[in-house]
Amino acid sequence: MAGLFTMAKKEFLDIIGEKKFLLIFATLLIVVLVSTFEGGISYSSSQSSTTSITTGNATRPGGGGGFGEFGSAQSLSRSLSSMITNFSLVGGVLAIAISFDTINNERQKGSLKTLLSYPIYRDSIVYGKYLGGLIAVALVAVITFLAGMGVFISVTGLALTMDTVIRLLIFFGVTIVYMAIFLAIGLLLSIVLPLPSTSLLAAMIVWLASIQLIPNIGYLIGQILYPVRFSVTNGRPSFATQAGFTTIRAIISGLSPSTAYENIVNSILTTSQLQFSSGSPTVISVNVTTALMTSLPSLIYFVGLLIAIFAASYVIFTRQEIR
Amino acid sequence: MTAVIEVKNLTKKYGDLMAVDHVTYNVEEGEIFGLLGPNGAGKTTTILMLIGLIPPTEGTAIVNGADIIKEPLQARRNVGLLPEGAGFYENLNARQNLSFYAELAEVPLNVAKERIEKLLNLVGLSDKKGVKVGAYSRGMKQRLGIAQSLVRDPKILILDEPTQGIDPEGTRDFRELIRMLSKEKGMTIIFTTHVLYEINKLCDRVAIMKNGTIAGLGTIPELRKQVDATEGEDFEQVFLRYQGVV
Repeated sequence: MAGLFTMAKKEFLDIIGEKKFLLIFATLLIVVLVSTFEGGISYSSSQSSTTSITTGNATRPGGGGGFGEFGSAQSLSRSLSSMITNFSLVGGVLAIAISFDTINNERQKGSLKTLLSYPIYRDSIVYGKYLGGLIAVALVAVITFLAGMGVFISVTGLALTMDTVIRLLIFFGVTIVYMAIFLAIGLLLSIVLPLPSTSLLAAMIVWLASIQLIPNIGYLIGQILYPVRFSVTNGRPSFATQAGFTTIRAIISGLSPSTAYENIVNSILTTSQLQFSSGSPTVISVNVTTALMTSLPSLIYFVGLLIAIFAASYVIFTRQEIR
Repeated sequence: MTAVIEVKNLTKKYGDLMAVDHVTYNVEEGEIFGLLGPNGAGKTTTILMLIGLIPPTEGTAIVNGADIIKEPLQARRNVGLLPEGAGFYENLNARQNLSFYAELAEVPLNVAKERIEKLLNLVGLSDKKGVKVGAYSRGMKQRLGIAQSLVRDPKILILDEPTQGIDPEGTRDFRELIRMLSKEKGMTIIFTTHVLYEINKLCDRVAIMKNGTIAGLGTIPELRKQVDATEGEDFEQVFLRYQGVV
């Protein structure tokens, strides 16, 4: 496609040369390094204080360790939870900062008309600009991820098994898709809204909705439909949530890209689960396939959301009048 | 002479507003054609339709043998455009901006390099080619815009208010450049303006636009004749007659 790679190259070079990009990248790198360092220390201490009894492929907690710290995989998910949250928060901001003015800035500067007078399809412009942004985001993810895992491994001395590597690669891939969603949101807003200042504000509202508003709405609707039951048993007050509340909250919260991302990644990085059988807790191994199947609905939603937002951007831009 | 641009009933409507109203004219090869009219007459809308940035409500145009609706890419393949208020990438210098556009137009690298140097020299920006465009004055940006429109060595050059923001010396240089491109390269040039002096000095033929329609079309003597202008009347009075002011 004529012009696609020229556009992508220019967009990528523009992005990595911008101060805002470098600033947010540095912020993401610092918070990820700090959180993986802390996570590494927490992982090491949980490993030394946990004694496990292994029965077949199930592990029974023997005491010492806190809830849920029953072996390396479970601890890996818990120890990297800060890193996941940081990617969820700062990664989204970085993607928005890159893309919120992709098209309307060109329009405002008057360069879009010039650009479109060249014998290239509008597809090339929208694809090229998105591709350039995606490469920049992927570069950030690679550097941050490698640096974070380097710190984690050097602190914990974690042996990288094939299973761990596969899970980390999926974690990395899902992180890229997550940032690509916010990149597409910024692109769409830059096409629909005429001013960069407006699209930045709208993008920040979308980001805020993703990290805070949608999960809160999920909680609220869950509470309205399935209120917490209060009862007094033997003179003691107790609160019980209904099963419907958890389901409704999970469905609505899962619509938020940030919650969906955290759910998928937590699911992928959790290799063991606590199960109560005959009153005693037992740890059951969860292999990669099972973890993927568990997060499959969220994964489908995640990729579908990316495709839908990007398709909307493409359709609107190719039909827009450039005056 | 063959027509390189055939505008056929070209119409653009925005709600109740008729921006361009069934406009029909031809532009011949190698001609300098002026679109003259006051603000809001439909000059820019006509040009943006020719280049495919705005879809016509009705009618079409054939540019370089290609229909602007059916083959938009082909239609603008040999067209250079300087849009009104053209902007550039301010973080890049003049040479980098032109290199980007040359790459978009698929001009081979060695050809582009040589052409860019020539164009920067032609528009008087050679000594500022390494300076970031963000530091350029409006006139310098307009000069760079002219260089940009020529970087793909087009057969047809469309310029929307090209002398806007350029000082008198620059305006004179621009006129000389347009004459040279027409005479030496046989380039077809269309430009919009509301500066009557430029039209008088440069154009082979002129279309006078009024409220989206063509109020008059022809050479300057033909236009004068159409409104029975006396020898004492200057072109400004002729233009005002077409606008129905006098």
